Amino acid sequence: MLPEMLLELRPNLDYAAVVVLFCIGLYAVIVKNNLIKKLLGLNIMETAVFAFIVTSGMVEGGAPPVLGPGVMPPLASPLPHALILTGIVVALATTALALALIIRIYLQHGTIEADQLRELD
Amino acid sequence: MKKPLVIALLILLALALLAAMAELPAVGQADAPVHTHVSARYIEQGEAETGAHNLVTAVLLNYRGMDTFGEVLVLFTALCAGFAVLLAAARNGNKHYRQPPAPQESGAVPVIAVSPVVSFVVRLLAPFIALFAAYVILKGHLSPGGGFQGGMILGALFIALTLVLGKQYSARLLPVAWRPWLYALAPAAFLVVGMIGLQLTGYFLGYPQEPAWHGVREAMMVTLEIAIGVGGAVLVASLFLALESD
Repeated sequence: MLPEMLLELRPNLDYAAVVVLFCIGLYAVIVKNNLIKKLLGLNIMETAVFAFIVTSGMVEGGAPPVLGPGVMPPLASPLPHALILTGIVVALATTALALALIIRIYLQHGTIEADQLRELD
Repeated sequence: MKKPLVIALLILLALALLAAMAELPAVGQADAPVHTHVSARYIEQGEAETGAHNLVTAVLLNYRGMDTFGEVLVLFTALCAGFAVLLAAARNGNKHYRQPPAPQESGAVPVIAVSPVVSFVVRLLAPFIALFAAYVILKGHLSPGGGFQGGMILGALFIALTLVLGKQYSARLLPVAWRPWLYALAPAAFLVVGMIGLQLTGYFLGYPQEPAWHGVREAMMVTLEIAIGVGGAVLVASLFLALESD
């Protein structure tokens, strides 16, 4: 079953890299104790999703979707790019809010280590 | 004890995801669904329908303008929430704040002075960075770029100048009293341009299609780009400075 899957995966190796990146981020979110490191893990996961969707918009030998003299089809799909631009901005907003919350937690409790915070309750 | 378990679970997850990825159309295949539905239409008619050479901007400001409106509102809300969290912390007087354990070896945290090299380079490059940001914002509908990208460049420049030259300098560059008005610049511009579109076409954020109205259409797009760029720059810089203070 596994070799068959690998054979089918060969044209989609770019996506496999995305899966690895996603798992690295999830590992950091689960295992790391420091809240800032968890946040970095979340950002790595977000990056994986962005890379996945942008990769899906690519086309073999395609030009960027900016029209002008000398730009010939095929063009990459503009829709994933626009979606991911939105996604990146939202990721920025969540990261900023999470950092503000982490600062608040530090001011309140003097620590941002998850296990120490759990003991406080 | 926890780590091997997590790694095993993640490997299982990765296998499941890889199995799903193997079923997807091959990367770069021209007849994949992502290229055949709305995207094909955007590429064929996008320029004629929106007047933007950059089709990403066409999708962002025209076809999916409502989504971008929501997006700038998300940014604005994040700023409000961040300020609320930090302000509440400041007002509480940090009465629950317990002194963090003192660093064992290094003693007090040293104040990092900005190196003269960094200071010189930032001041030297600042006008060029500002010019590049303006280009990226204003030409966003014709070439790669746009309001968000240019806004981030401008915001990063503002942060760099504040770090190097101090808060007094950045307050002279952009008075603190003006900033709250600029936070809401992007949502407000979307509202205004959307209403103009409603007046002209009958749809909120609609753009006039007739060739004679091309200048109006372009002006609407550039207005949105400038508002997103300047508003985004002020927003990002303010968020950073709010996190950095105390």
